Amino acid sequence: MWRVLIVEDDARMREFFAASVSRCDSLILAGSVGTVTDARAWLDDSAHAVDVLLTDLGLPDGSGLDVIRHAMARNPACEALVISMFGDEENVLASVEAGALGYIHKDSTPDDIAHAILEMKNGASPISPMIARRVLAKYRDLRSGASSSAPDPGRKAQAEPDVPEPAGGRALSPREQEVLELIARGFSYADIARLKTVSVHTVQTHIKHLYSKLAVRSKSEAVFEATQMGLLHPPGRA
Amino acid sequence: MRFHLGRILAAAACALLATAAAAATIELTQARATITVDGTTTVSNVVLPYHLDREQGTRPAQATFEVRFGSPQDRTHLHGLYLARVGNRAEIWLNDSLLAELGDIGESNTADFSKSPQYVPIPAQLLRAENVFRIHLRADGGRRGGLSSLVVGPDHEVLPLFEAANRWRLSASTAVAIFSLLVGTLALVLWATQVEGKPGPIVHDGIYLTAGVAEFCWALRVGDTAIVNAPLPWPAWGVVATAAFAGWIAGIALFCHHAAGWHRHPTMVWMRIAMMVLFASSIPASWLAYTLHQPLLLTTWLGCANLFFILYAVVYLVAAVRAPTTARLLIAFAGALNVAVGARDWVAIRISGDYSQSTWIRYSSVLFGLALGYIVITRFRAASAQANDLMGNLVSRVSAKEQELLRSYERLDQLGREHERAAERSRILRDMHDGVGSHLSAAIRQLESGRAEREQVLQTLRDSLDQLKLSIDAIHLAPGDVTALLANLRYRLEPRFAALDLELQWHVEEVAAVRGLDGSAMRHLQFMLFEALSNVLQHAQARVLRIEASASPGGALVRIIDDGCGFDVGRPLRKGLASMHERAAAIGARLTLESQPGHTVLSIALAEKSG
Repeated sequence: MWRVLIVEDDARMREFFAASVSRCDSLILAGSVGTVTDARAWLDDSAHAVDVLLTDLGLPDGSGLDVIRHAMARNPACEALVISMFGDEENVLASVEAGALGYIHKDSTPDDIAHAILEMKNGASPISPMIARRVLAKYRDLRSGASSSAPDPGRKAQAEPDVPEPAGGRALSPREQEVLELIARGFSYADIARLKTVSVHTVQTHIKHLYSKLAVRSKSEAVFEATQMGLLHPPGRA
Repeated sequence: MRFHLGRILAAAACALLATAAAAATIELTQARATITVDGTTTVSNVVLPYHLDREQGTRPAQATFEVRFGSPQDRTHLHGLYLARVGNRAEIWLNDSLLAELGDIGESNTADFSKSPQYVPIPAQLLRAENVFRIHLRADGGRRGGLSSLVVGPDHEVLPLFEAANRWRLSASTAVAIFSLLVGTLALVLWATQVEGKPGPIVHDGIYLTAGVAEFCWALRVGDTAIVNAPLPWPAWGVVATAAFAGWIAGIALFCHHAAGWHRHPTMVWMRIAMMVLFASSIPASWLAYTLHQPLLLTTWLGCANLFFILYAVVYLVAAVRAPTTARLLIAFAGALNVAVGARDWVAIRISGDYSQSTWIRYSSVLFGLALGYIVITRFRAASAQANDLMGNLVSRVSAKEQELLRSYERLDQLGREHERAAERSRILRDMHDGVGSHLSAAIRQLESGRAEREQVLQTLRDSLDQLKLSIDAIHLAPGDVTALLANLRYRLEPRFAALDLELQWHVEEVAAVRGLDGSAMRHLQFMLFEALSNVLQHAQARVLRIEASASPGGALVRIIDDGCGFDVGRPLRKGLASMHERAAAIGARLTLESQPGHTVLSIALAEKSG
């Protein structure tokens, strides 16, 4: 049984998600709030415990990313899913870097919602081909960036203590690379499992592992890495 | 009129010395001369200096001068004989002992010792109570042969007299010659390298050429003082020396003309002709004067030249004062001084025939070299200032151009961005109109009619949301990336495929970006593929859907194959298909359809566009 906290400012949406969670036997609705402040207060309350955080990104008093970070800081075992209207790459990647392990579309059916939560707890994370392409491009840039000189040596040197092994421990394994490439070409998990003669679960685990590699530890690090990876544009170049 | 300044000076020097050294040094001016000219020998008492050349009408002559003097005060020390001038060749005997041999007195027209002063040491033991100098001379006609007064005395008194004279006549002349050579070389180098910065044929600056030629001539003329054994026999060498003098004055006159800026005046042609005539006439004038023993010819030529240049100097001086520049005034002053000195030399040497005189113009001529130096320096300063000015001007103009360029780049950039924004806006508007908008209005109509089933309305709304998602995805699609487009389309439609329990065969290769397929074209392609897949999902009742994408020569090929019921491709096109054809035409793609029950193929051939 997983305890779920829902953070969503649209009351009807919140109710819909709350109902979807409540319907599922394996899930308990631990709480549902509508703002970052409330979410923090809820998380800070020692009486509350949570296994799964389901949060919208655009909240009236801040970003859902802050809620994710706050929850992760309090309880690293907590796993976060982002509620996204479109599952578009920018929001999803920002969430993944904040520590989220997946996302749920707003137009999902109640069954889909529960399913996505359970899948994640089971070791699976969704990924779209667009996101896979961005991640691949990011690692390609990192590799070429490592072989050629860094664009700004001073900044690189300054950032090094925070990012000790940008291409080491967080580098893609060959299998992860293959899986990502197939996803980028539109193959489903099932297709990939068949092509690589592994289980679908293995494929899903690769993706979840990949997400945890993309997560960064602090906000400043996140900004730096995202800039380095080309996921965010540095100020003035937008 | 005789010009005695030199003698007066020498006498004064002797007097001074005599007072200081108790009159140990004596000047001997009385001589008994035995002179042979044209085979006729005459004997007479003469007063030194004796200008043999002049006294005997510039004819070649041989002469012996006997000069007697009493016992010197001190006969135990070394003595010396100083001769201000002797020549052209001579043997000097004292009491029947040969003291010095200056050239070979047996030969005519060879060496010339008369150009510089001479000093002969006299060993004390040769001196007696009664002494006689015997000086045998050989004089070539017109070469200033003769004998100056004899200055005899103790070595330490006489030698300084000789050295002072030698310094002025020989050393100073050599220095002037070297200076002229340097200035002349510099001027010729400048002439060869400096060109007038005007368009058209290369024009070398004549001021440098005239100065260079003049200075070389002058180096030869003045340097001749140091040349005892000339490379040519007399009188040929005399002609050369005179021609060099003429070359100098002609060159300097033209130089002055240039410096005044008169070389651009039409009369410059006449000035050139005049100078050429002056130069050319010096040759016959000197040649005839020497060979016919008519010094008057050369004197007249020199007199004419003097007259011409006195007038020229006056005109120049007036012009320079009227329109003064430092260079003009300097040259006018140098010219006037040289003309005055030239006139003095002419009178002192040619007219009076004073044998002890030398030319002064060799010293005053240096002023022209200095004037040229001044001109060169001021010109280079002006040129360098001009270059600096030009450089500064250029730099500021370049930076202004850069700024302008930068601004125009910024403008272009802004225009480009505005254009992009406008294109994006119109694309989004079209998307809204064709996609979400049309679906929403369809949903509203369905609900209003009251006939539509709940599922139908739901489907319309889902289509609308899918369109919206695809529209957002399209923003992030890289131009030409057909594989990404297809992968994303599948991802978005996956729930629908799953709902229909359709077997999806995915044969999409990583196709290289198709050049020329921009954001708008990608959106068209996305619409076409969405439409095609929607058709299969809604109408085909297929069990297997195969999607292929591969690179083709010059582009890419996308095929959608299903095993559904098919349709008659010959029938009038439905709205959706018609729209697909329009979009294909808009992006230059070839859309083909073939259908039979159980096998329908829709192909989209994308061609790369150059640029």
